[in-house]
Amino acid sequence: MVLLSNSFKSFTQTLRVAGLLSLLVGVAGALGAPPSFGQSGSPSQSDETARPEAMPADTVRMASVVVTATRTAKEIEDVAVPVSVVSAEEIERQGAVRLGDVLAAVPGLHFFDDHGTGLQVQGFSPEYTLILIDGQPVIGRTAGTLDLDRITVQGVERVELVRGPSSSLYGSEALAGVVNIITAQPSSGWSGGLSTRAGSFTTTDVSADVNAGFDRGGVRLLVNRYASEGYDLAPESFGNTAPAFQDWTADLRTRFDVNDQLRLRLGVRATTLNQDGAFAIVDDGGTPDDLSDDIETRYDDVGKRVDWSVHPEAEWRFSERFRLRTTLFASRYQTKTRIRSQTDGSLLFGDDFDQRLTRAETQLDAFWGLRHLTVFGAGLSDERLGGSRYTFNGEQPVARQAFAFAQHEWTPSRLLALNASARFDAHSDYAAQLSPKLSVLVRPIEALRLRASVGTGFKAPAFRQLYLTFTNTAAGYSVLGSARLRDGLLQFVEDGIVAAESIPNLDGIEEIQAETSVAYNAGATVAPWSWLSTSVNLFYNDVENLIDTQIVAQKVDGSPIFGYYNVDEVYTRGLETEMTVRPLVPFGFDDTHHVEVAVGYQFLQARDPAVVESLERGETFERLTFPEDESGITRVLDRRIDASDYAGLLGRSPHSATLRATYRHDPFDLDVSVRARHRSRYGYIDLDGNGVATLDNEVVNGVTTLGSEFIAGHTIVDATLTKGFTVGSTLTTLQVGIDNLTNVTRGAFVPSLPGRRLYAVLRLSL
Amino acid sequence: MLNRLYLLALFAVPVALVGCDSSDSDPIPDPVPDPVIVPIPAQTATDIEADLAVAFGPTGPQGRDLYTLYDLDAGEIVLSSNETDMAVRAADSASTAWDIGFRSTTIIFNGGISGPGQGSAQLLVDGFEAITEAPADGYLTDGTNGTCPEIQTPGGTFPGPPLAVCTGSDNGWYNYNPGLNVVSPLPGRTIVLTTGEGNYAKVRVLSYYLGAPAPEDLDPSEDPGRYYTFDYVVQPDGTRSFETTVEG
Repeated sequence: MVLLSNSFKSFTQTLRVAGLLSLLVGVAGALGAPPSFGQSGSPSQSDETARPEAMPADTVRMASVVVTATRTAKEIEDVAVPVSVVSAEEIERQGAVRLGDVLAAVPGLHFFDDHGTGLQVQGFSPEYTLILIDGQPVIGRTAGTLDLDRITVQGVERVELVRGPSSSLYGSEALAGVVNIITAQPSSGWSGGLSTRAGSFTTTDVSADVNAGFDRGGVRLLVNRYASEGYDLAPESFGNTAPAFQDWTADLRTRFDVNDQLRLRLGVRATTLNQDGAFAIVDDGGTPDDLSDDIETRYDDVGKRVDWSVHPEAEWRFSERFRLRTTLFASRYQTKTRIRSQTDGSLLFGDDFDQRLTRAETQLDAFWGLRHLTVFGAGLSDERLGGSRYTFNGEQPVARQAFAFAQHEWTPSRLLALNASARFDAHSDYAAQLSPKLSVLVRPIEALRLRASVGTGFKAPAFRQLYLTFTNTAAGYSVLGSARLRDGLLQFVEDGIVAAESIPNLDGIEEIQAETSVAYNAGATVAPWSWLSTSVNLFYNDVENLIDTQIVAQKVDGSPIFGYYNVDEVYTRGLETEMTVRPLVPFGFDDTHHVEVAVGYQFLQARDPAVVESLERGETFERLTFPEDESGITRVLDRRIDASDYAGLLGRSPHSATLRATYRHDPFDLDVSVRARHRSRYGYIDLDGNGVATLDNEVVNGVTTLGSEFIAGHTIVDATLTKGFTVGSTLTTLQVGIDNLTNVTRGAFVPSLPGRRLYAVLRLSL
Repeated sequence: MLNRLYLLALFAVPVALVGCDSSDSDPIPDPVPDPVIVPIPAQTATDIEADLAVAFGPTGPQGRDLYTLYDLDAGEIVLSSNETDMAVRAADSASTAWDIGFRSTTIIFNGGISGPGQGSAQLLVDGFEAITEAPADGYLTDGTNGTCPEIQTPGGTFPGPPLAVCTGSDNGWYNYNPGLNVVSPLPGRTIVLTTGEGNYAKVRVLSYYLGAPAPEDLDPSEDPGRYYTFDYVVQPDGTRSFETTVEG
């Protein structure tokens, strides 16, 4: 478990909040006092009425409350699965503006650049991590990636990350992990704030918020504008690597307590993006070396995005023991892409995408007594896809889903807590899933917590895997999504383009399954003193039913028709560890100077067992290509590789590390923060067709071979300096920051590494 | 048990060292050069067309479904896939002069269902240079290979075409990467064959694209495919050795 929220400035406050909540929910529960919902506050909101004196200091030293892992508020220390939290305080100290900035500093997380910047958790690609805002999903993925830069972290109270599968509570996509962005609820009284940030590449981020809180209710409105002129990592070619854009977010949070029992919440969020890019296609006239006859055609690449969500919620505490929470959720995500020639305005490519999700769910929390807490939930959802991509015979895909889940927590003694949960998902277009999970927390002594869990995760087939009907006019092949396979093939047969001998038995087509995993996590946290905490987690994810294309039939001309099937398996395994130390505390220097250093490390192996088998059988070779010698001959050498040469799936670094060092000086209200993150080299392409990345410009007999299948390892250093002033009732914060201090770039291969960036921030709190 | 293994390992190390020393102990060269055995130099055939695309219809690049037939001994094309005169094609393909044929990603040999010659082949999992002698057996003529992977579909299982070198990505000589839309020759796959006249030969495909661009320079949208560049060695004396003796 990794904890990032234990900041100094908020330490007392955290202590107070956590003191109360842990008293009520976690520690006290274990001590024998019956927790009661009437006092614990809603999961996404912290009360501030606690008295820390009631708690022994070392019981709550790094306490913080989280809601994602169990769908109920719980002290982070008492959660039996690995959880990280980044508080608003830490987000501010890091000068973070988008979700990606926040997650960059969390150990073991990496980014995937594929149609946006996605998140890699425990070695999984972005489509396996569920991203939530206040417990409801953020929709709109492209090629599986949910772009982390879409989400502003202004108005956010904290960001929680659960590692390992949580499909037993959240269903699809919660296979590698869950990120839950908890928004700040309206606070009491009138307040407002203004935050502006400007930096390199004319990147600006401006936010304004107004808050009005009354006895029974409150409103908070936030407006954020994030814009940039983009940047170019490949100046030799026309067009920016990252295009210019303007992104707007409006976020409204309201609460109204009808009475002590019934509480209403409403969250509304809307965002828009306008993006202006450009690129060129160069026709080399058949002579790659002769640039004089090259013809360059320039294109404008314009993108628009609109997405919104409405999230009303009613919480009814109808007795001391029962709480019912009913949520409605509606969200829509639309994009429009147009690529036009700059010379004549002709359309090269156009795409519209429209996704709508409507969901109703209800959750009953039942506190049976001292030691038993049960959560029941059920819901329905309806998802519709519009736009050009998945239309089939004039129809747009509509999918329906029903789900139910249950969780029981049992705390037989203060030494032991058990949690069992399971969820059933039934879907109109893929086979139903049952996802159980079991976790256990053992506290043999106060300073030691042992955690173990085994759980299942699943990910629904992607829209393309269900609904695609696509023919590549250049290469000849066709691809049919599983929900379209039968009708699509019938159509092809009718059109006479399927080779007669290859027509499959259409009645034998099996329903596609979700991709599933079984995951094991085991770890420990040792916190012998208030100034030192070390945690380690071992993980193993065994994934099967991965969906891949397979040939279904052949066309008359021999080109294939592909369908999607559950074929592949992978596993990821490794170790995550973090140590947090406050070196001044044991020497008693911690009254005005606060220093905290956190070091994280992850070892990761993400592997395809079929590849491992082939390597072990000695069937896999690499092809070294030597540069042309004097006689103009290019030589190659095929060399057998073995399992020890296997770098794993592309995009996975076996070693990664993070360092976070902060210094705070209370009298000056001054914060210094330095973050570094390192990842070792990782494969990005298979050049020689052997399915693995091994080639890396190796020197053989004094000659450097051609081609690298790797992105070189790198270390990124970010730093910020923050100074607060109080003028009257206005708290002013000035901040300067530098991202990527040493100016590391990997060209167009890693577009999310734009080199060194400087920025300055001014924040006013009224 | 563990202790015993450990002891064994302790003994094994010095023995291995002694072994190394003795083999390196005679550095003085012979005054009179003996004949030495060297590999037969490989030839390279470049940009052999293999049913070039003549149209891009709604079903993709279309060739004429014609083979290019190549004579390894002579190092020349016997019949090009560009030749459309069926009389010429019939005459040329009926000869034993050609040894290997190419059509898109399919490779055939002059024997069995493919031709009148003594051609047969097998795909070895080994480097081209490492194969110094053709295996004595294991050769199949086209039409007799029952080991080609079946094509599994949810609607049924279909046998792979029974060619000596199986078709399909990762089943034979190549890998097709749908993400990159690239056909790459698989490293460590060497075709050992008997020619139309019954001599032994070995073949390694280097590239499927015109001009054999290095993999990192290859752009399938710019570089036309269906052009084979391959290394080959023929042993003309009828033996299985791919080595020859030269004066030292």
